[in-house]
Amino acid sequence: MHCTMDDLLALRAGEASVWARRHVEDCAVCRAELDGLYQRVAQLKALPALRPPRDRWSVVRDAARVVRVRRRRTWSAWSLAAAAALAGVLLVPRFGSRGTLHAELSQAKEQSATLEDQLQRYDVDGRVLSGRTAARVAELEDRIAAIDGDLAGRSGVKAQAQDAELVKLWQQRVDLMRQLVNARAIRTRYVGL
Amino acid sequence: MTVALAVPDVLVARAQAGDEAALGALFRAFETPVYNLARRMLRNAEDAEDVLQETFLEVVKSIRDYRGEGYLWGWIRRIAATKALMRIRRDQVRATEPLNEEAGKPGMHVGANIDLERAFENLTATSRAVVWLHDVEGYTHEEIGELMGKSVSFSKSQLARAHARLRRMLGEGEGAHT
Repeated sequence: MHCTMDDLLALRAGEASVWARRHVEDCAVCRAELDGLYQRVAQLKALPALRPPRDRWSVVRDAARVVRVRRRRTWSAWSLAAAAALAGVLLVPRFGSRGTLHAELSQAKEQSATLEDQLQRYDVDGRVLSGRTAARVAELEDRIAAIDGDLAGRSGVKAQAQDAELVKLWQQRVDLMRQLVNARAIRTRYVGL
Repeated sequence: MTVALAVPDVLVARAQAGDEAALGALFRAFETPVYNLARRMLRNAEDAEDVLQETFLEVVKSIRDYRGEGYLWGWIRRIAATKALMRIRRDQVRATEPLNEEAGKPGMHVGANIDLERAFENLTATSRAVVWLHDVEGYTHEEIGELMGKSVSFSKSQLARAHARLRRMLGEGEGAHT
């Protein structure tokens, strides 16, 4: 009876039974098999490294930008929420007469919140297939983050002109959010979710 | 292929801070070993490319959580191996390929005396993964069992079957040592 492959692998790992250790000392056939096993493993280790046929760095880099922007946006969103709450307290009682502007502002904020909810449905962190799409998403998120920063800095506006600018900024934000939702929705359909 | 890559701590720290150039340097340092690992474990190059991309997307997202335990290549390699094994499991579910399947690709004649690389290619995905992780990457059976969600004995038996089949495909003998 010769060693089985299990025995030979156990011998290689230094975990063989007493019988296998003694047998391989006496049996030239099994010694040759063990040598063959060592050689196969050595040859496997010596196989040449296979290199990726295409450069994927651009896709990974774009995704890294998205991650960075998202982290920044998360921070900005908290700031914005606080700023919006403060603006609500300061503005609404004082400028109740500017009903149209306030209605537009409320509408834009509601639309923005709805679009944020839609975005939550598209988890894209690990599914970036197209570098171009990832770059587009990153660009949109950058622009939204810039608007968020601007909005956060206007929490204490008082003049009507500034109020109108606030509405305009929120509407721009809604427009960018729509584009972002569309970009993500298209990508999600593309990967078949 | 044995990888012994040392990465300066400062480069890792910069990558953790979101420095794009540092992330790029890490990508360049590890893209070939990650792709090679995935390509050896998986049947086709496209899947290996996807694993390369998914691995680095994970690295980008999680590098801030890397605390420097062990060496960076070990951390990245584990991510890559997990991604590759997930793909193998997915393909097995789709193709209803049994996990402990022994047969290789159709048309591969036992004892055909082919070269080792081709013989290795003709092992099942599970066998290739176990052989590569154990014999080349140096994973223990315990670690492989954990990665695959299987037992230690599963890993050991897969390795024994794979070597028996390699031996037969390489025409190194018949019969006794199976």
